[in-house]
Amino acid sequence: MDNKIKKAYDARPKNWVFELVLAVIIIGLMVWSATAVETSGTNQNGGKIAINILSGIFHPDTKLLLNLTNQGVPYLLLETMCIAFMGTVVGAIISIPLAFITASNLSPKPVAFIGRMVIMAIRTVPSLVYGLMFIRVTGPGAFAGLLTMSLCSVGMVTKMYIEAIEDLDTRILESLDAAGCTTWQKIRYGILPQLMPNFASTAIYRFDINLRDATVLGIVGAGGIGAPLIFAMNSYRWNETGAILAGLIVLVLIIEFISTKIRVKLARG
Amino acid sequence: MSIYDKIFRPKTYTLPNGKSVQQKASRMPVAVVIILAMLILSIRITGFDMAVLVKRMNQFFVILGEMFPPKLEYLSQVWGPLFDTIKMSLLGSVIGSLLAVPFAMLASTNVIPNRAVVAIVRLFLGVVRTLPTLVSALIATYIFGLGTLAGTTAIAIFSFAYIGKLTYEEIETVDMGSFEAMEAMGATKTRAFISAIIPQVLPMYLSNCLFNFEGNVRYAAILGYVGAGGIGLILNEKIGWKEYSSVGMILVALFVTVFIIESISRAARKKLV
Amino acid sequence: MIKFENVTKKYPNGFVGLKNINLEINQGEFVAIIGLSGAGKSTLIRTINRMHDVTEGKLTVDGVDVMSLQGKALRQFRRKIGMIFQSFNLITRTTVIKNVLTAFVPEIPWFRAAFGIFTKEEKIKAMECLDKVGILDKSFVRADQLSGGQQQRIALARTLAQNPQIILADEPVAALDPITATQVMDDFKRINKDMNISILINIHHVDLALKYADRVIGIRAGEIVYDGPSENVTDEVLDRIYKGSNDKASKSEGAA
Repeated sequence: MDNKIKKAYDARPKNWVFELVLAVIIIGLMVWSATAVETSGTNQNGGKIAINILSGIFHPDTKLLLNLTNQGVPYLLLETMCIAFMGTVVGAIISIPLAFITASNLSPKPVAFIGRMVIMAIRTVPSLVYGLMFIRVTGPGAFAGLLTMSLCSVGMVTKMYIEAIEDLDTRILESLDAAGCTTWQKIRYGILPQLMPNFASTAIYRFDINLRDATVLGIVGAGGIGAPLIFAMNSYRWNETGAILAGLIVLVLIIEFISTKIRVKLARG
Repeated sequence: MSIYDKIFRPKTYTLPNGKSVQQKASRMPVAVVIILAMLILSIRITGFDMAVLVKRMNQFFVILGEMFPPKLEYLSQVWGPLFDTIKMSLLGSVIGSLLAVPFAMLASTNVIPNRAVVAIVRLFLGVVRTLPTLVSALIATYIFGLGTLAGTTAIAIFSFAYIGKLTYEEIETVDMGSFEAMEAMGATKTRAFISAIIPQVLPMYLSNCLFNFEGNVRYAAILGYVGAGGIGLILNEKIGWKEYSSVGMILVALFVTVFIIESISRAARKKLV
Repeated sequence: MIKFENVTKKYPNGFVGLKNINLEINQGEFVAIIGLSGAGKSTLIRTINRMHDVTEGKLTVDGVDVMSLQGKALRQFRRKIGMIFQSFNLITRTTVIKNVLTAFVPEIPWFRAAFGIFTKEEKIKAMECLDKVGILDKSFVRADQLSGGQQQRIALARTLAQNPQIILADEPVAALDPITATQVMDDFKRINKDMNISILINIHHVDLALKYADRVIGIRAGEIVYDGPSENVTDEVLDRIYKGSNDKASKSEGAA
């Protein structure tokens, strides 16, 4: 009996080499990455600035916050929301054909691979480069912003669409076939009802993210609340910064709350 | 019966045999109206114009055309900032993810019975997550000066909030049976948490961390704009000088890097889950 | 009437699914097909509405040669044959009634099909079908919120809405618990008697087959080894179907 236990003990999996190597790699990576922490010398006023920022954020400029003209926070937020909304719509539409040619259960392998590469390339280009390219097309402003936003959305949205397509339940097609449906009737009644809630849910989720990322657009002059925010910060107007940030944070939290509700409803019915 | 059903009365169908069924009024028309209204408003405010898009779309490819072929000689100068970006995102992701753990525990209803604490921590995580990364990077440059430290801080803040949220959701869905079993065997709450909850949460947590890191590498590329170091710095510079073939080189290098990191991370995540 | 004349089915990989089948099934019969997994039960059922092709011999339904049909004619032919699957094959994300309404899709004008517009008569008809299987009150509930037995009833209602002469059922109760299975089988029996619809059913539960069917067909390795009234199915017959011998030493499962 003892012998048997000893044998079983000796046969225990020995992972320590693998674990040691992994640990060395991880620690090595940490040390390596820590070497990049360089600054141009910490500003002596750093602490003071931090306090200024905080006090600015807690004492927002109420005049700006409640200003109802084109320069006021409410209008800027509305514009940002519109950019994010249209950006999501356009991005979601671009993603549909891309997802269908990249889904591995529908497309031949080489086509799917090319599709994957295209999506990845679209995703890699930083948004400000897109912003720059679109400003040539439409001139500076919200239009360029929404186009930039739509291309930035394509990566994630397509990926989630592909997952939905690959999860399709094809047994329904069998029953529609047995009932005498044509190919397009099978798509309309077998595939679309399965995909629609998924696609809608993905788009809503992406709208959330786009709203949050919309500030980036401001820096290239592509409209929305980003530009005034960065200007206010660059000129140390912390009360204005606070007003804009407060508005943005409240808006994003509200939209997130609503969109989560809708998505739960879509998933459970 | 909700208010909606009181305004829009349910439809009643009666069968020939006298039985009847009620169909609640569909929410679809309301959704369609809201979406249409938002579309019209958005098109008006953003000035979306299909005609302009069709007519001038070729302009989009002008800069793209100038980027190719990329200027290969420039590659030697890309390495430094590129590695800075990777280091920034790696360190920032790790710090943020580690910091997130105690907060995630405080935000889980099955660990902390006190509803108020949970609500406050969640709101805190929510607000931090809403803070645009670019803004936190800019603030960080004011405090820490220009350079990668600012970028690292911004990434750490974002990772903290993102991982924090995912982790508390993960902890909440954990099977509490093994926790109870540990307590029944006489373990303290802390011990029970360490040996019953952590092994269940750890694989998903690590997987989320890797995913977060992937995203951060891409995101870190724009932080250069506010002077937070990394590849964004030279990208911004070259765009400013309109040296588009160098921009092309930077983008190609970034693409290859992201591809490699994503491949490794995807393989690792498959192993984890 | 369904008529198999020397029907053989070879799969492209050389596997013989059906060997020289000769069979006649009259309108209004309730037939259970039993046999081991892979014996050819599914293949037999699926050749009737040509979900599978026959490679040799002749298969006619009401005098129509099934293998001669194509495209539109085949789809119209399938309209009068309903089919039920083990996995229900429902669109789970939509309501029960929308699932039943899909039965009308091949017959309505294309623009109505495209936008999913159905007339009141069609909706009432769909609800009558749901009433026949006892789930009228669930008409506007999402299909994925119902139990397995109820989902199979939606599938049954969907088939009834097609107004079929024949219903083919491929393991309809295999995914259900014993009690629900009996209820679904009761539905089949009632439909068979009240509406004079022929029912061909593949089934693993021998006891259910014997209890509900008038006629039993036993299949082994693609060949019919028993065809007769369910009263005449003895342990010996079951051994022949399931073991391929007259060995009486061990009793077949479910024969009790």
